[in-house]
This record gives sequence, C-alpha cells and structure tokens, in this order.
Amino acid sequence: MGSVLAASAPSPPPPGPGGAGLVSVPPGFTMPSVSPVSVTGGSINGQLKTDHPLPNPGAFEECHRKCKEIFPMQMEGVRITVNKGLSNNFQVNHTTLLSTLEDSSYRFGATYVGTKQTGPAEAFPVMVGDMDNSGSLNAQVIHQITDKVRSKLAFQTQQQKFVNWQGDAEFRGKDFTAAVTFGNPDVLVGSGIVVAHYLQSVTSSLALGGELVYHKRPGEEGTVMSLAGRYTGSNFIATLTLGGAGAHVSYYHKANDQLQVGVELEASTRMQDTSVSFGYQLDVPKANLVFKGSLDSNWVVGATLEKKLQPLPLSLALCAFLNHRKNKFQCGFGVTIG
Amino acid sequence: MIKSEGNVSVKARELSPDSGRVETRPPEGEIEGDDEDEELDETLLERLWGLTEMFPDSMRSAAEVSAQCSLSVAKKLYSFSRSALWVGTTSFMILVLPVVFETERLQLEQQQLQQQRQILLGPNAGMSGGMAGMMPPAPGKL
Repeated sequence: MGSVLAASAPSPPPPGPGGAGLVSVPPGFTMPSVSPVSVTGGSINGQLKTDHPLPNPGAFEECHRKCKEIFPMQMEGVRITVNKGLSNNFQVNHTTLLSTLEDSSYRFGATYVGTKQTGPAEAFPVMVGDMDNSGSLNAQVIHQITDKVRSKLAFQTQQQKFVNWQGDAEFRGKDFTAAVTFGNPDVLVGSGIVVAHYLQSVTSSLALGGELVYHKRPGEEGTVMSLAGRYTGSNFIATLTLGGAGAHVSYYHKANDQLQVGVELEASTRMQDTSVSFGYQLDVPKANLVFKGSLDSNWVVGATLEKKLQPLPLSLALCAFLNHRKNKFQCGFGVTIG
Repeated sequence: MIKSEGNVSVKARELSPDSGRVETRPPEGEIEGDDEDEELDETLLERLWGLTEMFPDSMRSAAEVSAQCSLSVAKKLYSFSRSALWVGTTSFMILVLPVVFETERLQLEQQQLQQQRQILLGPNAGMSGGMAGMMPPAPGKL
C-alpha cells in the first residue's frame, strides 16, 4: 500500500497521565508519551560516524528503545482493529476496545503521509490523528522542514479539554543530533516545560549526550539534567542514563536471527524504587509467530503472542500478565484485520 | 493375698461399730488395684518422660530447641515448596508453553507436507534436491 505503510507512523497513545516519555517530569506536569515515527536509522554519510536516533521527548529512550521494544505490552480486554488503506497516501483505522476494567470504547484514526519523499521509506509530512467515542483527540504532525531539520507537533485532548500540546524541532548534524521540545507552553499562566537534547557520536560505536529539562510553573521553577551514553557492539547495544531523575541502564542483545534478549534496570529517585526486568523476543517467521516474554523483579510475569493467520490478512495477539506478589492476573486478546 | 483379705475384713469389723472415726483410706485391695490400673496408663508416658530427666538441663533444652527448630523449618520448607511450585508452573505456562505449542504444530505441519509430497511424487520427493529417478512422465505428455 505504498508509502503509507512504509512510513509506519503509529497512532498516538490513548490519553492518560503522561510523563512516561520524559525522564524527569516533576509531579503536576504531564507530558504526552508520544511515540515518535519510527524512522529508519538516519542518514549514514560515507565514512563518517553513524548518526543518531531522533531526540524526542524521551529521546534517550531511543537509545533505550531497542531494548524496550522487546518487552511485551500489557493489554486487557478484547481489541478489534480494522485497517483500511484508501489510497497510497491515506489510511484509516477503526478500533473497538471491549474492556473489563474500564469503559469500552471505539476509536477512529486516520494517517496521512505526504508526498515529499526524503528516503526509501520516509515521506513527509506525516499526519496521524485519533479520535475516541467520547471526543478525546490525539494528533501528531511530523514534517521535514529542511534537509536537516525535522519538527513535530502533538496534541492530546481529554474530551474537549487540551491536556497536552507540544512542539519540537530536531536538527541532525553530521555526527550529532540536537533537539528542543516545548511542552505545554502556556503564555497566559506562565508555565511550561522546555527540554533540550544533545547526542554526539564520539566514536563509531560510542555516543554520548545529555538532556536538560527546565520546567516552570507560577511560583516554581527548576531544572533537571541527565547524561546518557550508548555503546553499540556487533550484536548488542548498551545504554546508560544517569541524572537527577535516577538511573536507567539497558542492555540489548541479539543472540541469533530468532532470539533477542534485553535486560533493563531502572532506579527512580522520584518514586524511590528500583526494578530489574528481563525480556526476550522470539521470532519464528515460518510459523508467522512473534512471542515476547518478560520477567520482572516486582514478581510480574508476562507474555504476548502475535500470530499472522495466513492466508487471510488477519493477525491475532494474545497477552497474559500475572503478578505473583499481588496474585492478580490479566489477559487480553486482539484481532487486527487488514 | 489371704493375709490382706484378712486384714480387710478385720478393718471393716473394727470400723463399723466405730462411727466417730472417719476412714479416708479405702480398703487396701482396692487401693492397690486402682493404683496399678491408673499408674499403668499414666506412668508409661510419665516413666518415659521421667527417664529424660537423667540428662543434664542444657542438653534437654538444646534437644527441645532443635526439635522445635526442625519442625518450623519443615513447615517453612513445605510452604516454600508449595508456593515455588505454583509460581514455577504458572510462569512456565505463560512464558514457555505457547512457543512450545506453536513449534510443535509447525513441525507436524512440515512433516505432513513432507508426507504428502512423498505420496504424490514418490519416495525421495521430500528431500530437497532429491530429483534422481522420480521425473514424472508429465513433460512427455506436454
């Protein structure tokens, strides 16, 4: 279906307390955990050092992203998604979520991919929108303004009230990436969050960078700074993020074509706890199967199984999560058509 | 025995005219019989317990402590093994079982395919590259 699917812009996440994207958001501030467009690796210029991932809010999780992608996603209830491509540039999806814990809902989403082609799998502008049956909207607009500058705008509303609005601009140099993000700027009240990211390749496999968060509220302002380093080996990636908000270490290892393994350690000063998780992803393309499992230090065991049911364009997702400590179990399944 | 009986009868005769004197002691035969019966039931355990009194106090307390300890350890071990078995089984069911099912199914499918190919095209058809001697006559017909 042409460039719409190739750009693979995921729909923005459902509304909820954000702050998951930013490393160090103080309480009271919410930032959308906006998932960035997964862009293929960046331009590699000849013999120069490898380029860097997009520094979005939660940019250093682009360093941590490879490891986080291995972990299964928890879902509950039944989710039925219908994807329909209307043209080369436009795609529409309907999602019905029947939930056991919350209200059931219906979401309508649309993805538009523009005509400015910057690479084999990238085309801009990308506009992704998602609306709930109660009127909550998630929208993202990503555009490549010039050769090296890409910008993104994202909005999130809860019914008709704007919960998150942010804009960012990212500059990709030869061997560095710099980005600035403005989150929930409110000129009238005088509050907002500004995040600056910088990531520089030091050698062909080592990248170092930092993040600075400045938040302001009437009567309160502060900054949080953190440093990040990422080392890429032949079949592994190790990332470390240290800062005022805690430490985050992740290790991703590709054992063979079928098995990928990740270990993650998170220590948060805000919530005063640490957790270690171990996850693995098993690909069996012959059986059209992707299996992700995870094991946690909080005694949580979870797994997700995704299977393409050939020859129909159906895919089935099953998920089960068990919390041994609280003795709570959650399972869900989803069907994607198209 | 005759002597005791004689004593009993003597005592009874002695007592009966004497109403002032209260005889609290039951007749000897009965005493002896009762004591024997009761002592037989109780003293077995009490005797055995009494035997332990010959050990020094420290040893007795050490034995008591170690017995209690081993009992509590056994209880803890039992409950630990129960919960470990539960956690292990459910985690195995969640983490490993689906993959095992799917790979087994895949293997069976492939086996079936191979068998079908064998039936269709003769033996050695399932092997990759095994073409010698099984050329069907179809090209000739074409």
